[in-house]
Amino acid sequence: MTYDRAVELEPAAAAPARSRWRRLRPGDWAVRVGSIVLVLGVWELFGPSLNKLILRPPSAIFAAFFELVENGELQAALGQSLRELVGGLAIALVLGIVLGIASGRWRFVYNALDPLVSALYSVPSVALVPLIAVAFRSIGDAPRIATVALFAIFPILINTQQGVRNVDRQLLEVARAFNTSERRLWTDVIVPAAVPYVLAGVRLGIGRGLIGMVVAEFFVGLVGLGYLIISYENVFRVDRMFVPVIVVAAMGIFLMGFVQWIEGRVAPWLKKD
Amino acid sequence: MSIDRIVVERATKRYAAITVFERLELAVREGETLCVLGPSGCGKTTLLRAMHGLVPLDDGSVLIDGTRVSVPRRNVAMVFQHFGLFPWKRVDENVAYGIELAGLPRDQVRERVARYIELVGLVGFERHYPHQLSGGMQQRAGLARALATEPDILLMDEPFGSLDAQTREILQDELLRIYQRDPRTMVFITHAIEEAIALGDRVLVMTRRPGRVRELISVDIPRPRTVASVIAHPRFLALRDHCWRLLREQQVMA
Repeated sequence: MTYDRAVELEPAAAAPARSRWRRLRPGDWAVRVGSIVLVLGVWELFGPSLNKLILRPPSAIFAAFFELVENGELQAALGQSLRELVGGLAIALVLGIVLGIASGRWRFVYNALDPLVSALYSVPSVALVPLIAVAFRSIGDAPRIATVALFAIFPILINTQQGVRNVDRQLLEVARAFNTSERRLWTDVIVPAAVPYVLAGVRLGIGRGLIGMVVAEFFVGLVGLGYLIISYENVFRVDRMFVPVIVVAAMGIFLMGFVQWIEGRVAPWLKKD
Repeated sequence: MSIDRIVVERATKRYAAITVFERLELAVREGETLCVLGPSGCGKTTLLRAMHGLVPLDDGSVLIDGTRVSVPRRNVAMVFQHFGLFPWKRVDENVAYGIELAGLPRDQVRERVARYIELVGLVGFERHYPHQLSGGMQQRAGLARALATEPDILLMDEPFGSLDAQTREILQDELLRIYQRDPRTMVFITHAIEEAIALGDRVLVMTRRPGRVRELISVDIPRPRTVASVIAHPRFLALRDHCWRLLREQQVMA
């Protein structure tokens, strides 16, 4: 799933994505599609013979997808989950970028935030979900939105902070040599320099936010894709359980692509050619 | 009798236990190109930064037109060895940077950007980002950005130091041509003797750290010059050998 990869990348602030793999060639697509087809094919053919109950074949999951669309469960759950995800990510984005910039720029803010951020980031976020559930109990989507925000904020905050702190000293000197005002220093130097870091943090944040969304729905309330997963798992309807899992994965892929698109828009200078 | 534009008085700069230069005295005349040569670590770059108010002195002062320099001035522009272009700005935006900050109206900015891009030979590359340009072209953009502010004084910090030999000579000729059209006071840091002689009206050879003035040499080769014409000039070899000897004696001692 998409967000597993993001989790692996987490410990260090991710460097701006600029690898030579970024531009996919037609041959790359063939390999990508081929590998998925191969895995699905093996699963379809041999899965049921290993465990009929748990390894339901892709064709059964496909059928379950239409069942869930027909009875409206999937749309309802997706709408609910999207609301939580969008709300949580918006909070994480705004708070993460603002606090990241402030702590990257001002020593006082950095000293005030760093121990808290380190502590909260090292605790497995899952352990804090029950706490959030109690704190926000019976306020609609609030506990789930808060969970998404908690999961997503740290990579965004830490990456933004790194981006602001790592602004090329030589360029800062150039800015000074041309008598740059404080406002233009931000708009012309610091913010553009931080953009690739921020976007790398956003990519990681989205992956974690999706985990937060599903985890929150496991624990708090009986709604959304997470609840769909756990309720069908409890009654051993593995074919139906897989449908929301795949939808979550698709959300991840879509959002990552969206960030990539945004990057091309706001940071055209990163396109290597 | 020429006027002194930049006067360095008893300038001293220390970094912790290291004295970069001490009680340095120097005067740069109106309209001249002063090239500064010296062994690495002798403080030439620090001296240039002090002239622009980018580095505070521990003692002494730098005066431009009789007043003490503490912050960068609008009539002084700097060109950097590392080019210092903003990767997120296109060539035209980079060139516009200094004059926008000076508060020029938009249409004048556009006109000047076009003029200076043409002067440095970057027409057709206005909309390129720096990483799409060669090193030589990037430094042309850096030069255009400085010239576009129409400064009285240009401070050049080994601007061609990271370029290959051919590109370097082409840009040296460009600079001589631009000077010919529009002479202005220039301080040019370099570690290449040929470059110092080709571009300079005077060459300042500094001692090793703590940097002091070892000798000020007048380059009696008439303008207009090209690099080729300077090297072919009968005075060139004698000047080069003289600079060499002064630098060698500093290196041997180091």
